Amino acid sequence: MNLPDLSTQMLYGRLGWAIVLATLACALWRRSAPMSRVALAAVMALSLAAMALPGALSPAWWLGLAFQYPSGLLVGCCLLRLAERWNGFRRSQVMPQALAGVLVVSGALLYLDAVGFLARGFYYAGFGQAAPLLGIAAAIVCVLAIVRGHARGPAAALLGALSLFALLRLPTGNLWDALIDPLLWAWAVVALLAAALRRTGRRASDRLAEPESDPVPAPGSAPGLRPLAAEHFSSLKE
Amino acid sequence: MENPQIPRPRPRNLVLLGCVLLVLLMLGAEGLRWMRSAHAAAQPSLAGAVRGGPVTLTELSSTHIPAPHGMPSAHASSMTPLPGNRMLAFWWAGSRESGPDVKVYASTWANGAWSAPWMVASRESLGAALGFGVRRIGNPVAWTDRDGKIHLYVVATGLGGWAASRIAHIVSNDQGASFRVRRVLPTSPLFNTSALVRTSPLALSDGGWWLPVYFEIGNKYPMLMAFDAQGNPTSLARIGRSTSTLQPAIVAVSKTEVRALLRDDSEARRMQHAASLDGGASWHDLPALDLPNHNTSMAAIRLSSGQFLMLHNNAADDASARSVLRLSISDDMRTWRTVADIAKGKAGDEFSYPTLQQVGDELHVTYTWQRQAIAHHRYRINAGGTI
Repeated sequence: MNLPDLSTQMLYGRLGWAIVLATLACALWRRSAPMSRVALAAVMALSLAAMALPGALSPAWWLGLAFQYPSGLLVGCCLLRLAERWNGFRRSQVMPQALAGVLVVSGALLYLDAVGFLARGFYYAGFGQAAPLLGIAAAIVCVLAIVRGHARGPAAALLGALSLFALLRLPTGNLWDALIDPLLWAWAVVALLAAALRRTGRRASDRLAEPESDPVPAPGSAPGLRPLAAEHFSSLKE
Repeated sequence: MENPQIPRPRPRNLVLLGCVLLVLLMLGAEGLRWMRSAHAAAQPSLAGAVRGGPVTLTELSSTHIPAPHGMPSAHASSMTPLPGNRMLAFWWAGSRESGPDVKVYASTWANGAWSAPWMVASRESLGAALGFGVRRIGNPVAWTDRDGKIHLYVVATGLGGWAASRIAHIVSNDQGASFRVRRVLPTSPLFNTSALVRTSPLALSDGGWWLPVYFEIGNKYPMLMAFDAQGNPTSLARIGRSTSTLQPAIVAVSKTEVRALLRDDSEARRMQHAASLDGGASWHDLPALDLPNHNTSMAAIRLSSGQFLMLHNNAADDASARSVLRLSISDDMRTWRTVADIAKGKAGDEFSYPTLQQVGDELHVTYTWQRQAIAHHRYRINAGGTI
């Protein structure tokens, strides 16, 4: 069990919360209008300046009171989201469903254990001697993913969180705290729910678009008719 | 004449190089840490035991520790010995429990009297040192390490009630005159909340100690955090599987057998009990003891005679949960017999949250007196008699 110095934690807390707060502020920006780089830089600068304020004037004082420190992966994901906005990406790749699924399941087990329902000691294992080995193994998997171009962004965020843990033991000295916190878990739950809703919506619209009688010819049998098939059953046409 | 083509590194190769260097750096950091860390878990210390034979107790003094001026409420005392048969006591005091003015105070026992109290921790002092807010202050627990440093663990809440508690670890190099914040102990993945301390630590053979901790959001369960001789946490583990016990009072029976007496938050209202037979590596719940426990805290120590003393509330028919504070003794931690009721009042009175410390041949007892003051009793332990 190696824990970080308090001074390192305090610096991490201020920087980490500045990034998380800036990401939240950007998320509230009007979706219809893309955020300019100047506006993004201003939000980030304001967030950093606010965190640097002394004592109770700093949002870090209140965020720390309620949530202590953000996980390294949450900070990494927020940085990634800010980078996406900087580069003008409208569709975020920060929380792919695979990552969200892993976070939701592992977080649910971790929190059920922490509130006493499971008694498996998952959190305590995050301080154990196997935790650094697991962290290194996960970092190697991240490197492979980055080099091969698979989910580069999330892999880079994860690698960043794991390296903060390995090099400085941030944020708390526990591997779990580097990889997940209740805020990131909630983000993953929302991402999965949103994906499920999108799927349900797509299925519903597909069902609406399907003909009830007079089925569409099989693809290939009359390729020229395919683009018109959906329009033929549209209520607008009728 | 042709310009020689200088091969440019491809971005993919640079990324690969950077990643490999980062992983090597991580491996190096972990390797260094691994070489420096201790690999064997320390066992409980039985230093001072066993002189053998039964003992008698003779009361030497009974008093209240001086209260800070203008602080009508006091609770949750903890003691730790100082060199020269002195004693240092900590407790919280303020206008009321959870009040914003609640602070942790200390007083020294020397030459048969308690000193004037002084403040050692407040929500302002902890917040300033930690860089984030502390909403309220709660139980302190003290420990003197083998270098004479005083380690004080203070409950400091985040956003919410006691269920949002964290444990601040503060250290004094000058016998309690001043304290420096070391850190907030990491105990939970839920914003590091709902960990509290109340009962006394237990010495380990390598100079380290175990700090009894407990969790309380909905479910309540006891934990143990181990520290090395320098006061760095080395491990954290849960005691048993119960979800309705808290405030473990830990006692070493032998180097490998350890018992935890537990406050009961269930309908059973019996003193709960857990044991470890492998020096604290794993714990199992035992059947409840045949002693009432109406959700009250207790203290237990192993005397140098080898017997076990416990100070606990005894809720009889004509008493309320905390109106009788009883001293009991046991040879085996299973069967207990009453020594004396050291505080007894009418229903509604409160004598609670006891602490025990043996210093030489003296037994020091402190407890909360009517939520208004901290009472102190001192006994001489005489070998050869029967309690």
